Amino acid sequence: MLFNTPQFFIFLLVTTAIFYVSPKPLRRWILLIASYFFYMSWNWRFAPLLLSLTAIDYFAAIWMEGVESPGRRKLFLVLSLAANLGFLGFFKYYNFLAGMLAEAMRRDEHAFALMIVLPLGISFHTFQSISYVVDVYRREQKAIRDPIDYALFIAFFPQLVAGPIVRAREFFADYYQWAPPINEEKLRGVLWILLGLAKKMALADQFAQIADSYFMNLAAHPGAPAAWSGVGAFAMQIFFDFSGYTDMAIGMALLLGFHFPTNFRRPYLAFSITDFWHRWHISLSRWLRDYLYIPLGGNRYGSLMTYRNLMLTMLLGGLWHGASWNFVIWGGYHGALLGLERVFGRKHFQEQPHWLVYPFRAMLTFVLVCIGWVFFRAATFHDSVYVLQQMFSAHGKGILIPAWLGFVLAASLVIALFEEKLEWIERLAHGPSWAYVTAAATLLVMIELIGVTEKAVPFVYFQF
Amino acid sequence: MRAAPVLLASVVAFAVIEGAVFHTGLYPWILNPDASTGYLETILRIEHERPKTGPQILGIGDSRMLLLPRLSNQHTAETGYTFGTIATAGASPRCWYYMLRDADPTARSYKAIVIALESYDDAERWGDENDSDSDLSYLIARLRLSDLPEYSRSYHSPKQQWKAAEGIVLKGLVYKRDFEDLLLHPVKRVRYVQLNRRGAFGWNYEYNGPPDTLSDFHVDWDAKTLTAPPNANAELVQKLKFRLVGPLPPDTGTESRYLKYWLGKIYEHYRGSPTRLIFLRLPRGGFVRPDQPPYNPHSSVRELAAQPNVTLIDEHFFDSLEKPEFFRDELHLNGPGMIPFSVMITQEVTRILGPAR
Repeated sequence: MLFNTPQFFIFLLVTTAIFYVSPKPLRRWILLIASYFFYMSWNWRFAPLLLSLTAIDYFAAIWMEGVESPGRRKLFLVLSLAANLGFLGFFKYYNFLAGMLAEAMRRDEHAFALMIVLPLGISFHTFQSISYVVDVYRREQKAIRDPIDYALFIAFFPQLVAGPIVRAREFFADYYQWAPPINEEKLRGVLWILLGLAKKMALADQFAQIADSYFMNLAAHPGAPAAWSGVGAFAMQIFFDFSGYTDMAIGMALLLGFHFPTNFRRPYLAFSITDFWHRWHISLSRWLRDYLYIPLGGNRYGSLMTYRNLMLTMLLGGLWHGASWNFVIWGGYHGALLGLERVFGRKHFQEQPHWLVYPFRAMLTFVLVCIGWVFFRAATFHDSVYVLQQMFSAHGKGILIPAWLGFVLAASLVIALFEEKLEWIERLAHGPSWAYVTAAATLLVMIELIGVTEKAVPFVYFQF
Repeated sequence: MRAAPVLLASVVAFAVIEGAVFHTGLYPWILNPDASTGYLETILRIEHERPKTGPQILGIGDSRMLLLPRLSNQHTAETGYTFGTIATAGASPRCWYYMLRDADPTARSYKAIVIALESYDDAERWGDENDSDSDLSYLIARLRLSDLPEYSRSYHSPKQQWKAAEGIVLKGLVYKRDFEDLLLHPVKRVRYVQLNRRGAFGWNYEYNGPPDTLSDFHVDWDAKTLTAPPNANAELVQKLKFRLVGPLPPDTGTESRYLKYWLGKIYEHYRGSPTRLIFLRLPRGGFVRPDQPPYNPHSSVRELAAQPNVTLIDEHFFDSLEKPEFFRDELHLNGPGMIPFSVMITQEVTRILGPAR
């Protein structure tokens, strides 16, 4: 049940309606049942896995809180982490490691492979669980005593399969002081859903067609213009796809009385890679910082250790996206760029540059990010190298992005620049009705006319 | 701001934009004349704008209904009838009904409607014509909200039913491809539409057909083989083989039910009107396979023939045209074949209707 299908909207409508007409004590049950129904609609076989991880972390946190001995607390933490990372490792990385082992032993690359289907959203709900258990270990979060409450935190359908990775204290702050959304929140919720849907169907899926046609048949599109437009199309696809999904998740949560954190803040307007990671998949960046980079030592033990920690964090962040060397290279590439920016002085890359310099810095950052996307999207390392060679070759003609989509993109850029200064999308619900109505109707027309509707295209991040 | 009225207003605003652009003549004006919707709209526009003096005969069918009104109308002085055609490549009997409904809303504009059929026996086809994907694209500008229940139900598969219902309400979904094409080359489109408006009548009515023939092809019915000349187009050879020596679809009665419904709808439109419905069976091809479907006395068109204003031209009337030299491919008459075909229709229709009054 993809977010961009009529079935999902029927599900959302029914769930929201039942949620609000039910007595308050029943509402958490309704959300939990709906969330498991949503998850099982993909593949019911993964529900026991989700349930098991939920149970393990639920009890681990309670036991951890109940003991004073640091050694036993650590033991419970280690057991919980082992379970979470064990499941994640098995489902996501077993075949990758088995392939490497086979290669090392000069055996057939599938010699030790197993037929494993990656459970939907495992990377996201595992990270959410880990953050909860670690927070309880650090005594930053009280263990949740009610299993239904905890199960809902893990399985809440708007963010179950692709985030944002919500922290327990954020979720339960809303949950324990739940209040129905006020009118402005309802309007914002609907607008975020429409905006997300338009980003996904009208933009991401359009760019996906271009990116797919390029990356699936590289030989047919030689030369720099085709390579840059193919990579650029993927850059747009992944942004509009993932931020569209997040917008929808934020909107749905708002309609149900929950406030999710911002996950994207116009990342392609970033003026440095440091700034990019403050704007792109913010909930993951935050998670990596708090549960990996800082525990590794952060910047507390000198420059060399800082670079090491930065690189390790980004390499693991890359690997989190998928079991492939290309993702590791992508992570390493960003780690190296972040390291370089530190070498040249963090201040220059954290503070907004002069407005005359800003466009050049933003363009340079976008180009650097696009180079990274090559490894993210290309099927193999060999393909990545080929695409990079093409991008920096001197020949070729014909860009793949049609003019009209270029205009839509230019319009999106103008909107993003205004949004950067004014945040008017967020404020539309407070403004005059006509402005809201115009925006909502425009988004609906966009979805209708340029949305790819013949076949629901899965969200890119659902595969992670 | 209260949420409900604002959300309702947003939906209404969207509906107003959608209605104003797609449920009026605004967007159909700029349709690509070469795409299915634009093509059908062009054909109907030509018919609407064609000067009509005296009793009119209108031909309808798919791409095989190669009636040349130019030839037929050379005899108007003798016959008293003027011929026109809204035959549209790819249009199905379901399309014909909606086309006739709009071309002749009073059911009194024509002395006769000449409907070209592939078979009088409701010969089965490969695939269920009820679920034809292209019909919605052809007809979208013709379909009204009031057509929603009947039109969407006329599809068999729930997916197609949903697609049809959704398309009739939100026509932009069906125009999507055309719209994207318009965005690609807006200026070129406007110029082409203008050119088409000026030239379409001539292109349609002055069409002569290609000279290509199947004269160099030979079929051995016993061996079930087709011999093609060395320079023959490979795709044409495949199509000929499929049509002539390929398997025939099993008779499930699906086509018969389909035709009974849509030809019945056409008949209902003309029930009690002075217009005569004249059916003809198209020449079957340059080669006619011996294993033709059996005679079906209860076929859609034979049952309709019992109605007072329905006439069937003799099934074998066009048999003399079923020669390789009169066909350009597995289905269509060539230029030299279209001439006798048009003349024969003109003569036979005139004979059936009698002298124009």
